[in-house]
Amino acid sequence: MPFKTQKLDTAEALTLEWILQNKHYKLTLDKKQCVGCQICSLACPKEAIKIQKQPKVQGEKVKKATVDVDLAKCIFCGICDITCPYGAVKVTLNDSRNINIVEKESFPELVRNIKIDTRNCPKDCEVCVEACPLDQLTISRVTFDGKPVENLAALSPSQRRHVVVSVNIPKEKCPTCKACEYKCPAGVIKMGKIFEGKIAIDQSKCPAGCHDCVDVCPITDTLTFVDGKVQVNEATCVYCGACKVVCPIDEALTVKRTRVLHTPVHSGTWNKALERLTSPMDAVKELKSIGNKKAQEMVKKRAVTEEVIR
Amino acid sequence: MSQPETPSNLSTKPQTEDLRIGVFVCHCGLNIAGTVDIKQVVEYAKTIPDVVFVKENRYTCADPGQEEIRNAIKEQKLNRVVIAACSPRMHEATFRRTVSEAGLNPFLYEMANIREFASWCHPSTPQEATERAKDAVRMAVAKARLLMPLQTIEVPVTNKALIIGGGIAGMNAALDLAEMGFKVYMLENTQSIGGHMAALDKTFPTLDCSICIEGPKMVDCGRHPNIQIFAYSDLVKVEGYIGNFKVKIRKNPRYVIPQRCTGCGECKDVCPIEYPNEWDMNLGTRKAISVPFDQAVPLIYAINKDYCIECFKCVDVCGERQAIDFEQKAEEVDIEVGAIIVSTGFDVYLPYDMPLLGYGKYPNVITSMEFERLILAAGPTGGKVLRQSDGQKPHSVAFIQCVGSRDKNKYPYCSNYCCMYTLKHVVQLKEKYKEDVEVYVFYMDMRTPGKGYEEFYDRARERGVNFIRGRVSRIEEDPKTNNLTLYSEDANLGHPIEVNVEMVVLATASIPKKGSDEIARILNLSRGADGFFMESHPKLKPLDAPTDGVFFAGACQGLKDIPASVSQGSGAAARAATVISKPKWKIEPIISIVDETKCRNKTAKCGVCVDKCPYGAIKAEPNKAATIITASCHGCGTCVAECPQHAITQMHFTDAQIMAQIRAALERDPEDKILAILCNWCSYAGADLAGTSRFEYPPSVRAIRVMCSGRVDREFILEAFRLGAGMVLVGACHLPYDCHYISGNYKMKARTDALKGMLTKLGMSPQRFRVEYVSAAEGIHYAEVIKEIDADMKALGKEKIKEENAKLKPTLENMLKRWKKT
Ligand SMILES: Cc1cc2nc3c(=O)[nH]c(=O)nc-3n(C[C@H](O)[C@H](O)[C@H](O)COP(=O)(O)OP(=O)(O)OC[C@H]3O[C@@H](n4cnc5c(N)ncnc54)[C@H](O)[C@@H]3O)c2cc1C
Ligand code: SF4
Ligand code: SF4
Repeated sequence: MPFKTQKLDTAEALTLEWILQNKHYKLTLDKKQCVGCQICSLACPKEAIKIQKQPKVQGEKVKKATVDVDLAKCIFCGICDITCPYGAVKVTLNDSRNINIVEKESFPELVRNIKIDTRNCPKDCEVCVEACPLDQLTISRVTFDGKPVENLAALSPSQRRHVVVSVNIPKEKCPTCKACEYKCPAGVIKMGKIFEGKIAIDQSKCPAGCHDCVDVCPITDTLTFVDGKVQVNEATCVYCGACKVVCPIDEALTVKRTRVLHTPVHSGTWNKALERLTSPMDAVKELKSIGNKKAQEMVKKRAVTEEVIR
Repeated sequence: MSQPETPSNLSTKPQTEDLRIGVFVCHCGLNIAGTVDIKQVVEYAKTIPDVVFVKENRYTCADPGQEEIRNAIKEQKLNRVVIAACSPRMHEATFRRTVSEAGLNPFLYEMANIREFASWCHPSTPQEATERAKDAVRMAVAKARLLMPLQTIEVPVTNKALIIGGGIAGMNAALDLAEMGFKVYMLENTQSIGGHMAALDKTFPTLDCSICIEGPKMVDCGRHPNIQIFAYSDLVKVEGYIGNFKVKIRKNPRYVIPQRCTGCGECKDVCPIEYPNEWDMNLGTRKAISVPFDQAVPLIYAINKDYCIECFKCVDVCGERQAIDFEQKAEEVDIEVGAIIVSTGFDVYLPYDMPLLGYGKYPNVITSMEFERLILAAGPTGGKVLRQSDGQKPHSVAFIQCVGSRDKNKYPYCSNYCCMYTLKHVVQLKEKYKEDVEVYVFYMDMRTPGKGYEEFYDRARERGVNFIRGRVSRIEEDPKTNNLTLYSEDANLGHPIEVNVEMVVLATASIPKKGSDEIARILNLSRGADGFFMESHPKLKPLDAPTDGVFFAGACQGLKDIPASVSQGSGAAARAATVISKPKWKIEPIISIVDETKCRNKTAKCGVCVDKCPYGAIKAEPNKAATIITASCHGCGTCVAECPQHAITQMHFTDAQIMAQIRAALERDPEDKILAILCNWCSYAGADLAGTSRFEYPPSVRAIRVMCSGRVDREFILEAFRLGAGMVLVGACHLPYDCHYISGNYKMKARTDALKGMLTKLGMSPQRFRVEYVSAAEGIHYAEVIKEIDADMKALGKEKIKEENAKLKPTLENMLKRWKKT
């Protein structure tokens, strides 16, 4: 069998493949999970990913942007998989996640600082489950001898006291919006965001009645449309920028990422990705903090030439 | 590089001194004298103007005969010599030496062929043979009057060689030349030398490990002080000519500094990125920084920027050595060489466009080259032949021969070695998996002509392989098991058959190397109908390209196996050494030169000659007269006939000389004569053979020799008819490939087709002007042609011919205006 490349685009998923004699590379984009932000396209070292804004139909809600990956450019490095805050992209080699770039320290893993201490959990509380805007969070309960609890109400009070609650957050799918943390009555969940940043809306620039950003924001209540104006609740914003992609007015909405939490790494690929995910300035800040002089200069040089090009 | 000066002696102006022509008539024992009346010829010669001395010899070519010529030149102060004897193809060189020994320029002599062209072919009509001989002498004298002294041209030679293509053929050529002491540059466009052989597992018929025998040669090439390898480099431009080529090479950026890379491979280990390895038929992968295979020569890593993500891990690990340079740019290098060997090999056909075989669609259908990579221990599967669909060992394998080869719709030729490598594959498979694997071979003919090859076939048969004679028409796959069903007919049993197997191996055609057209353009080579490079002569010059100083080795000239490629490599080295071992290269001065004052290209865009020259020897820069690179000119004279301005002259075959011969030939009773203009290499040689073989034909023919039929100017034919010729014949080498000058015959054909149309429109009977293709072996054909033409001429009758000529004359005179003065 000769080397074969193929691309399949269905309603549920976009799949790209390299099939070799005994190596099978595969990229799968889960279209349901994808929110149409641009994180992957910013991180991709081969500029293989394109974000396509969907045409707006009058009278309908705006649709989230779609993502297309160019089979001729994709090298299945797995950076999109690693950087997607929502875990919408999977890159595999022979059916297991291809994290060669992480193992070789060419790229960091994003750090989701999630701490869960369920000792204080009220045994029947479900607030966090309802709070999760992406329906990712689940709760499981076991009896003291480890049997799953089917019906909490059927247990005796003492049995109930010994029930162990666990809160399960599938890490690679959690964008760290902190909605669960805020809503938790018992302070069980502590979460650090992947991205630090800033979101701002200049309401004076917004066209009357426009709430496209609100429509695409995957995190409920972060953006709300109140009295004809869009309001921001920055506390739950993950700075993914899905809103920015659809906003029709350039100056109306700004989303800035200033820091990315990640495992330590020393890599040109990361420096470039960081620069595009944040800004050259912010990238230099990080490089300064780890004392990488040469890389700082390279970033600065790139920034200057890009300025000139613009 | 400037071309060598056109030697100053190459003046196109005839001498003005008083002519003193000596004529020597040879008896050749009784060979000539037995039929031709020598006395008559001698007496006749004495009457020709400017002839001051006539002498007959029994054997002119023998020492006493030659001595007489030398003495006469000195004593009679002869300044032109005509020798009426045998064919110039026999003794032209002999007598050139004779006259030059007497101090006369060797080009101031001409031969009249009165043996092959008179006595031998007209034995039963001695008087007519004698008349023909007289006319031959008159024609030779007419040309001799206009002969000009010429000097053999010498050009200096660069004693270095360039080998293009570092496969097994090119490596052998390089090593042989390097061992002879010559500096050799080796150009390879991939990252390593080695070619296809480096990717093979074992080699037939002895089954030795391919890289084990080739590896040491690769290393020798890499280490030899006389060999400099330019790998991962392309040929950009070649200028110049034999002995003096100026070559521009582009070194593609590896992003690794060759002098600093130690080949340790630490960078490869830290690099996170893999991509399909083309060298491995894309079955396996290589790193973004890597060498294509472990034994690569030169062992210098390279970064593929299409895949590199610029993490700079390699830079870190390379550390102190600082071998990695992301800023590296392509670099152009100029070298000078005296000879070039082209050994660019072949490509393997991938049958995506034969959907019935399912290649690219069914995972368990592979090509033989892929099979080589699978059974190779260092290959992507560690030497296990495994199905792509499930990674399992197949229990039955079918091999299909001639996929694309010997197929009128694809590649009509036989790919030469597929039968043998398939036998190798089945023996390997049987020896590896024994009874565990059932093997079928579908073939058309099993071709095993080679030392030990038929015995190897026996070895395969003894292994219990099923050989089925028949072409497989289609393959179908069971989508559940990915097993395959082959539909074929068994030609021996004469009925259709179906065979189920778990894997299919296609022995696909080997095809001309991608980029051959580019190489052909740069070096001005031609390619045959099959796409492989054309040698200068299929039998006598199989290693020579039509461009002097360029030679072929290996599969690029025609598919051949390793032993043949190796031999050709050594052969090409020897041929190249004949050039670069000399301090100077001699060129026959019968080349063409452009009269700057007449060339139209100075004022208008012309360049007709540039397109017509089969050797690309002519350059016509805008607003400048065309110039001919002396050392590249082969002297066919095609440009001379094509130039609309008559600005080009071929030395020793000038328009004036040939016109004079035509006029002399048709001086008496032109209506009864057939004027034949024959090319030296085929039709003249064929006519000689007719004489040698004593095939008798009518004596009405008068023949003129040119080097190539491409030299036949329209004016020659017009002049012949203007003078009243009964019939005109142009003799050429057979189309398409026989022409000694690649394509002169085609140029002549285009020209004469148009001319014939015009003449018939003017009222000439079409049979009066004929073009015939006669090979050097077709004496009988030549005799038949002359018989036919003679019969046609008699059938038309003298009166009819005269009548037609009278009608033609005003138009012809008008077309030949420029000759009026002479
Ligand atoms: C599947 C298979 C199995 C075979 N098994 C055997 C066997 O067992 N025994 C046997 O005797 N023969 C075998 N052969 C045949 C053998 O491969 C050839 O005889 C041999 O490779 C010919 O050598 P070469 O040097 O002429 O050409 P190649 O091996 O093709 O080498 C040509 C070289 O020139 C380089 N090149 C090409 N174009 C350019 C360019 N424009 N500029 C610079 N460099 C260029 C190429 O990269 C290459 O390195 C087999 C062939 C096939 C396909
Ligand atoms: S910089 Fe490129 S070649 Fe070097 S290690 Fe990283 S991916 Fe590989
Ligand atoms: S064909 Fe004649 S006129 Fe035209 S460029 Fe050549 S030499 Fe000059």
